[in-house]
Amino acid sequence: MNLPAQAHAFTKVFETLSREYLQGKEEVLRLSVIALLVGGHILVEDLPGLGKTTVALALAGVTGLSFGRVQCTSDLLPSDITGLSIFNREEGHFSFQPGPIFNNIVLLDEINRAMPRTQSAMLEAMEERRVTIEGVTHPLPDPFMVFATQNPSDQSGTFLLPESQLDRFLICTGIGYPAEQLEREIIAGGGIRERIGSMVPLVTSAEILAARKDVQAVYLSDKVLSYIHNLVLATRSHELILTGLSTRAAINLAQAAKASAFLAGRDYVAPDDAKGIAVAVCAHRLVMRSDMTTTDRGGVLRTIIAGIALPLA
Amino acid sequence: MVAIRSLAAILTYLIGLCGMIPLFPWLTTFPRIALVAGLLSGTWQDRRGNWPLKPWIQNIAIVPVFLYYTLQFSRANPIEPVISVLAIMLAVRLSGEKSVRHSLQIYALSMFCLASSSLFDLSPVFLIYLGLLLFMVAVALVLLTFQNQDQAMTVSKPDLKRILFSGLLMPIMVVPLLLLFFPIMPRTQLPLWHFLSPPSTRMTGYSDTVEPGSQSSIAESRTLAFRAEMSRQAQTQPYWRGTVFNRTDGIKWTRSAQVPAENIEITAQTVSQVIYPEPSAVHTLIALDRPTSLSLYSVKRSPDGVYEMIGAAGSRLIYTANSLSSGTVAQRNSLNRLFYLQLPEQLPARVKNLASEIVRAGKDDRAKVQFLESYFRNGGYRYSTVDLATGNRALEQFLFEKKMGHCEFFASTFALLLRAAGVPCRLVGGYLGGEYSQLGGYYLVTDDKAHVWVEVYIEGSGWERIDPSGFASNAGDVWKASGSRSFMHRISLVFDSLNHLWNRSVITYDFEQQMKIARHVGSRLEGVNPTKLLSSFVPYLAGSLLLAGILFTAARSSLFRSREQRILHRFLQTIEHGFDIPAGVGGVGLFEIASTANNSHVSDFVDIYSGAIYHDRRLTDAEYLRLQQILRILKGVKSKIP
Repeated sequence: MNLPAQAHAFTKVFETLSREYLQGKEEVLRLSVIALLVGGHILVEDLPGLGKTTVALALAGVTGLSFGRVQCTSDLLPSDITGLSIFNREEGHFSFQPGPIFNNIVLLDEINRAMPRTQSAMLEAMEERRVTIEGVTHPLPDPFMVFATQNPSDQSGTFLLPESQLDRFLICTGIGYPAEQLEREIIAGGGIRERIGSMVPLVTSAEILAARKDVQAVYLSDKVLSYIHNLVLATRSHELILTGLSTRAAINLAQAAKASAFLAGRDYVAPDDAKGIAVAVCAHRLVMRSDMTTTDRGGVLRTIIAGIALPLA
Repeated sequence: MVAIRSLAAILTYLIGLCGMIPLFPWLTTFPRIALVAGLLSGTWQDRRGNWPLKPWIQNIAIVPVFLYYTLQFSRANPIEPVISVLAIMLAVRLSGEKSVRHSLQIYALSMFCLASSSLFDLSPVFLIYLGLLLFMVAVALVLLTFQNQDQAMTVSKPDLKRILFSGLLMPIMVVPLLLLFFPIMPRTQLPLWHFLSPPSTRMTGYSDTVEPGSQSSIAESRTLAFRAEMSRQAQTQPYWRGTVFNRTDGIKWTRSAQVPAENIEITAQTVSQVIYPEPSAVHTLIALDRPTSLSLYSVKRSPDGVYEMIGAAGSRLIYTANSLSSGTVAQRNSLNRLFYLQLPEQLPARVKNLASEIVRAGKDDRAKVQFLESYFRNGGYRYSTVDLATGNRALEQFLFEKKMGHCEFFASTFALLLRAAGVPCRLVGGYLGGEYSQLGGYYLVTDDKAHVWVEVYIEGSGWERIDPSGFASNAGDVWKASGSRSFMHRISLVFDSLNHLWNRSVITYDFEQQMKIARHVGSRLEGVNPTKLLSSFVPYLAGSLLLAGILFTAARSSLFRSREQRILHRFLQTIEHGFDIPAGVGGVGLFEIASTANNSHVSDFVDIYSGAIYHDRRLTDAEYLRLQQILRILKGVKSKIP
């Protein structure tokens, strides 16, 4: 398989976005592309105004995928997302009006503001990739990717996602403030929402689907497999962690590592890939001991990773 | 954190001590003083951290010493000047500032000193010193290498542990080689230099003549005489036969070598024993009374059961002997009575009177002996080693006036009286008693156990052993077997067992003996049912094979590294040195290294290497060559970086 050529398109997607539109957001962009390549969902936890929505919009723009947006509030109902059947007086029957979830890329803004009923409906749709309304099952489009955001500082009137549902997100990450010089440039240049509208798609959805197959075919050697397994085992026996990583987490880590290797233009996974993506894929899935819930899970995971030797030979 | 400098200094002094302590007893006074002074002044200056004595001063100071000892050197005195110079050089180096070069000299000199101590003494302690020295030198060399790089370097506890471990590895790795060389290398059974002047300590206790009255008291030394490996005997105090005295001049007893033929009858089971005598100047070979045979190449056997070594004495020996331990030995041929009735022409009147009394009392020889025995028992004689009768009339004095003396008095007078009464008899010199070491399975006999007793010939029975010392009124106190042994005593017996083991298996190691044992085992095995034996060995065999397999695979990974592992190791080293990236194995990924190094060659290497490794395949030859090329380029780059 001539992997570099196929990977090149996505490398270009990533590079175009990070150079021309979203400077200083390389990491979240890379993770988004990885999530897209694996077919997973991404949760971005950060303060408002750091460009979470812009990232999602830009991703949709550059891939030419349809984009839907849900601004979550406490009175948001599941049908507001999934859509509902409306009686058509002229035709004399109910017709299904698809909600915003019937898009390729769905931005769920401030997901923790939605009430648990709505949250679980959304998360179910994310997992099943279909929606059943009034007995009729409607498949979601493919590729389908949820780009959820969450504001960690605003706690009043929010419903934190339970751990079991956090597990549905392939990747959870933050954005962070841009570097000083970069921020000055951004301030000087103003917003980029207008420019995003005029973006030219660089890949088609068919290419994305093909690339997903290629990612699946990336070679995962026994050595890297053992490395991932050791990492998972280490989280299960760590003293600060109540519940370690699940098997699903391990599968997701391997998939994300493959996508990361694919993005780097390789047809095999290096331990670096797994190491580089492990915190984004795994940290949010760790259940800390009750007295340790405030501990930085990313930090704990990084210490665990530092204690595991990379297989170099 | 420990400062390497001070660690190395302490080790250097310890190494110096390891070299000088074994040699110390054999040095003359001046080198001894020099060693102590050198050590003290060295440590004192080290504590102050100030070195007023400059190396060049020391080097000059050593020249006259060297010249002096060179003049002392002669063919008659070749060793002492050499070891003196060695010791003084060690002392000088210890007293001076310890640069890396001087430390290495101290290690070498200590090694020489220890080696030269083996010219004088072959003791198991040598092995301990050697092991210690090897271990400490190995560790010190590592530390010195660090110190050479950076004087102020410190080392963490775990690192120190690793250094100590690798230091320990060296002496341990020698052990298999040692086992290999031990049976085939030539060896000496006695210290190379010291045997020319054998130790004078082993002159007491046992002598060629019995001459009571030559000293007013005798000193007892508890130096080791011999060890006899054998089962524990029923008799609490076994008699060890050495020599036989058959001539007397009334004052002393001597041995005439022209002993009449004596064809003894072996009626009972003989007791076999292996004797390990301590080296001495005495030619007589000891064995349990009475030996019927003795295995040694050059041995002269006398008819009266005395064995003597032919050739130079003084080396360490082993021999086996078989003995009849009953105390009575029948003789087949007729006795040369005249020979065993020899008396001086003049005997004191009182002795003559007593002898005629014996003759009157007993009609045959046995009755005469019994009469004399009761005479001694009822005479109030006491055993003593002090306040003895002396002079030419010593025996007479003992018999009739002082009535106290040691075994020589008792035996000499008893035999003299018997001969005067017409009963053939002789004196036997040897040892009585000994400690039995359960651990080693041997009797330990010291010089203070030297003893003399009497053998009387009774017609119809044979030679009977009679110990006149036992007739002393206080014999029970003197000769009683020591019942309860003190703790220290037992400890010393254990140590003696270890010493014996060393002498037996190392110093007097005998290839032929070992082969004999091997053959014996072989012949024993022939009689064994092989299938039964095999089935009983299968679990052991399987177990040891499994263990060996596990050890081998474990060792393989570290000892036999693959081509990939080797080139990776070189790559990581190059990266660490050339790019200053801490690339400890497993800590950093290869692509991380490549992105940090930001060097196209590094990236190339990582791409090629990872392409093979993470595809679970080995490097092809072309790839390997390419990687080697890249490594060479990287090394070149590195040298250009200042």
